Amino acid sequence: MILSKQLKPLLLATLLVVAGNIATISAATAGMLEDVQKRGTLRVGMSTFVPWAMRDKDGNLIGFEIDVATQVAEDMGVKVEFVPTAWSGIIPALIAKKFDIIIGGMSITPQRNLTVNFTTPYAHSGQQMAANMQLAGDFKTREDFNSSDVTIACRRGATPCKAAQKLFPKATVRRFDDDAQAFQEVVNGNAHGMISSAPKPRFWSDAHPTKVFLPFGDENLTKGDEAFALRKGDPDALNFFSNWIVVKTSNGWLQERHDYWFKDQSAWKDMVAPQ
Amino acid sequence: MDRNSPPPQQGKPRFTIVDFLLFAALAALIIYAVYRVNDVLVYHWNWSRVLGFLVKYDQESESWVSNLLLQGLATTLRLAIWATVFATLVGVVMGYWRTCQNLALRIVSRCYVELIRNIPPIVFIFIFYFFVSSQLFPAIGIHNIDKDNPWVANEVFAFLFGNPALLDNFLAGMICLSLFEGAYITEIVRAGIQSTPKGQWEAARSIGLSPFNVLRDIILPQAVRKILPPLAGQFITLIKDSAIISLISIQELTFVANEVAATTTRVFETWILVGAMYFVLCYSFALLFAHLERRAKRSQR
Repeated sequence: MILSKQLKPLLLATLLVVAGNIATISAATAGMLEDVQKRGTLRVGMSTFVPWAMRDKDGNLIGFEIDVATQVAEDMGVKVEFVPTAWSGIIPALIAKKFDIIIGGMSITPQRNLTVNFTTPYAHSGQQMAANMQLAGDFKTREDFNSSDVTIACRRGATPCKAAQKLFPKATVRRFDDDAQAFQEVVNGNAHGMISSAPKPRFWSDAHPTKVFLPFGDENLTKGDEAFALRKGDPDALNFFSNWIVVKTSNGWLQERHDYWFKDQSAWKDMVAPQ
Repeated sequence: MDRNSPPPQQGKPRFTIVDFLLFAALAALIIYAVYRVNDVLVYHWNWSRVLGFLVKYDQESESWVSNLLLQGLATTLRLAIWATVFATLVGVVMGYWRTCQNLALRIVSRCYVELIRNIPPIVFIFIFYFFVSSQLFPAIGIHNIDKDNPWVANEVFAFLFGNPALLDNFLAGMICLSLFEGAYITEIVRAGIQSTPKGQWEAARSIGLSPFNVLRDIILPQAVRKILPPLAGQFITLIKDSAIISLISIQELTFVANEVAATTTRVFETWILVGAMYFVLCYSFALLFAHLERRAKRSQR
């Protein structure tokens, strides 16, 4: 009894402090837009993914996404700050408030949408397949790849793996930490094909014309809708970013930037590789 | 043989035929691996892009400056040094508590050591990063630090903590690493304290020294001499363990290497280069510590 008498005020005080903290935290995060403007920087979570976001030869970030995020921040009147994040942990990191928004070429999926909010799509990419010429040179149709002795590589935790499982349920799907490793498996002949977001498979088959080809040409296996991802519970921010995308789609800015980075590498090849 | 004669000369180690065969087999294996990579994998080695991420030529200042990979190496080193300082603090306190009379302190330190040593580092790091640091840092206001504050926007701060924009990221990684390595240092310190013979405690207490004085003046100086070599080893282990925190996106060498590999698609070159960088870093420290240890031994005589 004596112990509980001593403990009671202590417990109460602790509870009050905790409650106070929760109150201040929820008050501080009432609106992401206000937070960003007060801070003066928009913190953007992204992951390296050619040509969405990559490093030029000086180590600076360049790419479609970088252009988009920089423009959003400029239109908000704040500075942009990129937080490079490992792809597999990017959603937990958003929820843990390591940054304000994911502008990372993330495709909308119902599963992801249960955890985060998505804006209107700002890009429509698809999944392409690159295949090893020796192993899969005579494969003509998608059905040829759907066989138990076919191996398909993809990047872990990303849409391509789901596409691989759905389109080629009989094939073995091998997951890698990044696209480069998955692609290397195809070049090495350890995997028949790999699935990745367009236009990477095309860039790679251009780089290794004797080893790798596109079995289905530029035809995409799936169609995706890429959108910004935000934490749940902030309709104001969602409305702002969605409408920003609507405006930039209507005036053609997004299409123009998309073409610059995706049509071919000629426009920016000099920026990434010393010639 | 009287006790003053020198110890018997050990025969000079010589290569025997078995050693030659072993080395020949090893060399054959390496040559075969190189052949596999070159002819079977048809891998076109291209080091220029990856090496370009070590240093770059800055047009403005007209000099060579560090690029991504060297910056990552600097972050790794910065992390390792800070984490070692904090892990040592944690380890000395917890290690002393492990040997204390006070039961509560013993329970706390024992729980800490057992908890950390019995979960995989990566699980601990995920728990810490996604739950603890995301609650802790906003509470003390680190995540909204003002980057133009004169305390932050200066060379010294950048040298000590790197880019201020990534400060909370850096601190999260540093605290993760120090809590993790602290558990191992705790055990090293405990072993050091306990290896000092009990008679020393008793003798010091009997001449009237307080327990604190005994620890400071009698036990720790002896313990420190014993634990320095394992501590140096733990520091090198810490450098290597720091690669794990690339998974929570701390911009250290392994994380940066991932980015470089993804950007350049030169997977082999990137990881071979990064492996060499870690080796040079860790081996230089190993040599340095071995040198210091020899000097310390000589000065003891």
